[in-house]
Amino acid sequence: MRAILVKAEPAPSFVVKEQDGLDPDSPQVWEGSANASTPRTRENGNVDQAFGQCAAVIEGFYTTPVQIHNPMETHGNTVSWTGEGITAWSSTQGISSVRDGLAGALKMDQSKVRVITDFMGGGFGAKFGAGVEGVLAARLSKEAGAPVRLMLTRFDQALAVGNRPSSFQKIKMGALADGTLHAFEMENYGTAGIGAGGDAGGGGGGANIPAPYLYKVDNARVTQRSVAVNAGSARAFRAPGNPPASFGMESAMDDLAVKLGMDPLDFRLKNDPSPIRRKELRLGADKIGWKQKYRPPGTCPGIVKTGLGCAGAAWPAGGGSPFTQGEAQINPDGSIELRLGVQDIGTGTKTVIAVVAAEILGLTPEQITVRVGDTQYPAGPGSGGSTTCASVSPTVNDVCNQALDQLQKLSGMADARGQNWFDACKKLGISPLTVHGRWQKGLSSSHACGVQFAEVAVDTETGLVTVQKVVAVHDCGLIIDQLTLASQINGGVIMGMGYALYEERVMDDLSGVMLNPNFETYKLPGIADVPDIEVVLVNMPERGVIGIGEPSTVPTAGAIANAVANAIGVRVPSLPITPAKVLAALGKVPPSIKS
Amino acid sequence: MKAFEYATAFSTASARDLLADDGAYIAGGNDLLGRLKEYLDSPPRLVNIKAIPGLDSIQHGDDFCTIGSLVTVARLETDPRIRSLFPGLQQAAAEIASPQIRNVATVGGNLAQHSRCWYYRQRDIQCLKKNGDLCYARNSDNRYHSLFSGNDCISPVVSSLGTTFAALDATAVVLSQGRELRWSMAEFYADAWKMHLAHNSLKPGDLILRVEIPLSRPRSAYLQASDKHVFDWALVSCAAAADFVDGKLTSPRVALGSISPVPHQMDKANQFLEGKPLDSDTVAHAADLLLAGAKPLEHNAYKVPMAHALICRTLLKLKG
Repeated sequence: MRAILVKAEPAPSFVVKEQDGLDPDSPQVWEGSANASTPRTRENGNVDQAFGQCAAVIEGFYTTPVQIHNPMETHGNTVSWTGEGITAWSSTQGISSVRDGLAGALKMDQSKVRVITDFMGGGFGAKFGAGVEGVLAARLSKEAGAPVRLMLTRFDQALAVGNRPSSFQKIKMGALADGTLHAFEMENYGTAGIGAGGDAGGGGGGANIPAPYLYKVDNARVTQRSVAVNAGSARAFRAPGNPPASFGMESAMDDLAVKLGMDPLDFRLKNDPSPIRRKELRLGADKIGWKQKYRPPGTCPGIVKTGLGCAGAAWPAGGGSPFTQGEAQINPDGSIELRLGVQDIGTGTKTVIAVVAAEILGLTPEQITVRVGDTQYPAGPGSGGSTTCASVSPTVNDVCNQALDQLQKLSGMADARGQNWFDACKKLGISPLTVHGRWQKGLSSSHACGVQFAEVAVDTETGLVTVQKVVAVHDCGLIIDQLTLASQINGGVIMGMGYALYEERVMDDLSGVMLNPNFETYKLPGIADVPDIEVVLVNMPERGVIGIGEPSTVPTAGAIANAVANAIGVRVPSLPITPAKVLAALGKVPPSIKS
Repeated sequence: MKAFEYATAFSTASARDLLADDGAYIAGGNDLLGRLKEYLDSPPRLVNIKAIPGLDSIQHGDDFCTIGSLVTVARLETDPRIRSLFPGLQQAAAEIASPQIRNVATVGGNLAQHSRCWYYRQRDIQCLKKNGDLCYARNSDNRYHSLFSGNDCISPVVSSLGTTFAALDATAVVLSQGRELRWSMAEFYADAWKMHLAHNSLKPGDLILRVEIPLSRPRSAYLQASDKHVFDWALVSCAAAADFVDGKLTSPRVALGSISPVPHQMDKANQFLEGKPLDSDTVAHAADLLLAGAKPLEHNAYKVPMAHALICRTLLKLKG
């Protein structure tokens, strides 16, 4: 890549900090257009009057940084363009969208483009499109007459493949004497970089966040705007909008509970409209020992202080895609292959398919050969919005029920399942049975909830925060496979912990460059940072299948931030909660000397 | 990285010859390869020094322990005799990077490593340390930078072994133009204090042979504070060493890392601690003396209370 000569000139002026972009005189990122968008306000009730009726009112300024997409596997692919067409081995969450993207960009028939994703090392919302790297590799392959492999470096990754927008949430919130939330006002801005980018598939990508998030407040006014800056643009990022919303709102909830003199858990139980989440709050409180351990903020003795916090999640998606299709091929030797044009992004999709098929056919999951990640299979959705599990489960259910029905007819056996399976298959003779099916209604739904509790220890002399335990209580309707589900939640907690304590894109306003485009200074949790994570599952078969990937990362930062505030008795209102910010919140940092 | 020649040396003399004017020595390569990949350096030739006999041993004498420059950090971490003679050195080694890196990282490489300043390491920035006009850190995001410096560059020393060797009053023996120079840690890093382009006092072609540690300080300790629990650079590190007889310190030495281009030492603090007991007032006063004159900048003032706490804790650890 270094052989490519790019002629470019540095911009004479630029803006990289959100606060600077708010200034109408800041250098324009897009010529002729103000950096800050026109504020949009939404209001219900009478906010100004309602604040006057409150027994307690808090004001806070809660901020979250830009979080960079850093899957372990960077973006990239190997593309082979021959006379037969294009084959791309892509690291993607959407084999179909990559196929369509390549076909569109390269003026090829979609039928001539095949995309294969056998395995991939994480996407989290950033890997739906063909991307510059896909189109470029394809063009180079055509020129070279050979396959071209192009994987981004970690440096490229930090600059060009997307991020979660920042948020700067000025929140004023009040409650009545009985603890009922009564008035809420938020002004928020954040940056999606130079724009939302052309590749924000999977939802989100803008800087707005849901507010007042989980809670219903009769009188609420929310004003939001985006600020363009000269930095990499946003892309959908695991539960777009929700982790910053949870952090801001749940921090404000704890601050208001403290001011009211209420236990933050009781304050949530009073105000959370979701019966599922209220149940989860009680379950989680029990598991972490809230009643025994909770103490008023800052009252833990000693230099290293412990604290407890909790926060909640809502995720409006997680339902299945009605367009999902699949097929089964049953061979005379009794082997069976399930083929779906979805992709396993590391979440256990193949396992889910095998588990569902095995249950219907009376077989073991090991007997099911699962094939995904190829656009030659019946089409499925991209893996975004926690959709895959709720898409494939009803589809496999349909495919297998139809297959079983046909096998029983062809074999003349009333029940071809389980121990009869091989005898029934033998009766197929020499011709395999291939059955096509599709997603069916009624077996899945959406809107998973979830709450998490964190217990932390804060060294008040060095500022180091140690997360000792996280209890993650989650529901996702009918649980298909506990092991891969728990793994999803563990991953969500660890990612949320990175957001809480370590991760932050640092832009330099002197030079305009990103200062931490690597894992040395863009810090991520390591194994020694990760706490004991206790996953508590709430199985709700009556709701059908719901995806879990996203909600599991939503409440972690809020829970940890609240636990830190509970431990040290003051709020660190800004993520990530670094030792420097903890020491500053404690009033221990001396003034700097102006040079 | 750019293509380079590669040669293996079997003696210090041949290493120097092979290096010529523009090569670079390579042992563990952790720092060098990172610089090559970021195009911060592009030497035409790497000279592998790991086959030079005698540089990878630890030798125990009556008054000194001698550690060869090719001894790995992992060995300092795990060697039982090092642990008992110099607990602080073992603790410092155990905090360095990750087990994989410690397995290949060498004592010489740790001492000679270059600045980790994020402006210096950013390929798109031509800062003062890269012969540019401006120390960006001084004027912009200096959260990881120095509280003390003798020149316009404020990138701090990050060698935790260097900091610990300073507390142990160790001597580095450096082969320079055919002569063996004997440097204290203050001398080893003196150029970095004075000159913005320097990372240490080594000149091209200089080769670290060994480090000699006097056995006169049986008590030593090391602590660091970082953003994360492991595999993270120190925001501040502290090493202390002394003898401790009848409840009193003898020949105490304290050094701090990551707050100055050199291991930060104050004679006044060491003198104050001489003959003193280890109690909270004493260590707090020593910490005040060590941090006197600190010049916190816009984003690194948190290092002052952090360093204060670490000095107190490290000194109190000497009690055992």
